[in-house]
Amino acid sequence: MRAQGLAVNLVELTLYFMLLSLISVGGMPSILPEMQRYVVDVKGWITPEEFMQIFAVGQAAPGPNILIASLVGWKVAGLAGALLALFAMCGPSAVLAWWVDDLWVRFKDSSWRKAAQRAIAPIVVALILSGGFILATPGAPDWRLWLIAAATAGGMLLSKVNPLWFLAAGGILGAFLLG
Amino acid sequence: MSTDVAPPKSLRELFLGFLSIGARSFGGVMPWAHRVMVEERRWLTEADFAETIGLCQFLPGPNIGNASIVLGKRWFGVAGSLVAFLGLFALPFIWVLVLFALYADFAATNPTLRAVVTGVGAAGAGLFIGTAVKLGRVIARRPAALALIAACFLAAGVGRISLFVVLPLSLVVAFACARRGWL
Repeated sequence: MRAQGLAVNLVELTLYFMLLSLISVGGMPSILPEMQRYVVDVKGWITPEEFMQIFAVGQAAPGPNILIASLVGWKVAGLAGALLALFAMCGPSAVLAWWVDDLWVRFKDSSWRKAAQRAIAPIVVALILSGGFILATPGAPDWRLWLIAAATAGGMLLSKVNPLWFLAAGGILGAFLLG
Repeated sequence: MSTDVAPPKSLRELFLGFLSIGARSFGGVMPWAHRVMVEERRWLTEADFAETIGLCQFLPGPNIGNASIVLGKRWFGVAGSLVAFLGLFALPFIWVLVLFALYADFAATNPTLRAVVTGVGAAGAGLFIGTAVKLGRVIARRPAALALIAACFLAAGVGRISLFVVLPLSLVVAFACARRGWL
């Protein structure tokens, strides 16, 4: 039964995103490799190319980029999937933030808090880098995608223009190189 | 210029403030969150804003989503958290779905559009890489930090090992390094 399969997918997606929410230190960029691994490699709900296009639309649209999770949910199970994906992705971490807020202020000068902050920083850097690498390599390594990604990263580091201009430039380059 | 700040007076004001952050956040939410809450509505000081964002970057979850929860809670309790969160996401949620539906419609018959969007995706990947370099170049001067970054990247990015394995392991190692003053 298709409807039944859809309901199973919806439950799996929701539970998985709730777990993902709790390890999403650094936000969307950090969990992108894991999300891609699950919905593309493990479950096969979405192709690597589709995942990249979901990411592209999510990046270009205004709003928090966690909404990429909603697009994944939409692709898997329509509007219900989109709504559940958003709340699953944000709910558990929101509850955690709610509770930690007081502790955070209380332990402002504690050496544990400082050590934890220093420990997390390099991991977040590595996970964001992994997200970029995986998105630029949706299938077999493609020099054209790497070129666009490298040019964008370089441009961003050397200038202070709004990132939307880089996305626009990437689109134009894409039309010429990939069209 | 006066420097006095005051929290939002009502849930309605809180909702509208976060709605206007979400509505205008082309190219990144954080700059708009700063503009609306610190500059326009003067709900909190520059220092409070930085401190709150610091907490939200440390916690799992979307930074700005966490900020809406934490600030809403400080001002109005649970109701504040819910109202701020819903205000923030209401419009971007609709827009991203509409944009994607439009895209899916046109992309089926238009290979050029697919090429453009793939190019945008590659540029978005480049923004991630640029962000990682920006954040990393300060901390990577320490050999232990550089080794951690490389190991995590090889495991999660290249090796595609699950984050549920990589994150706990690397947190334990990183915390031990941080306590020894290596990071």
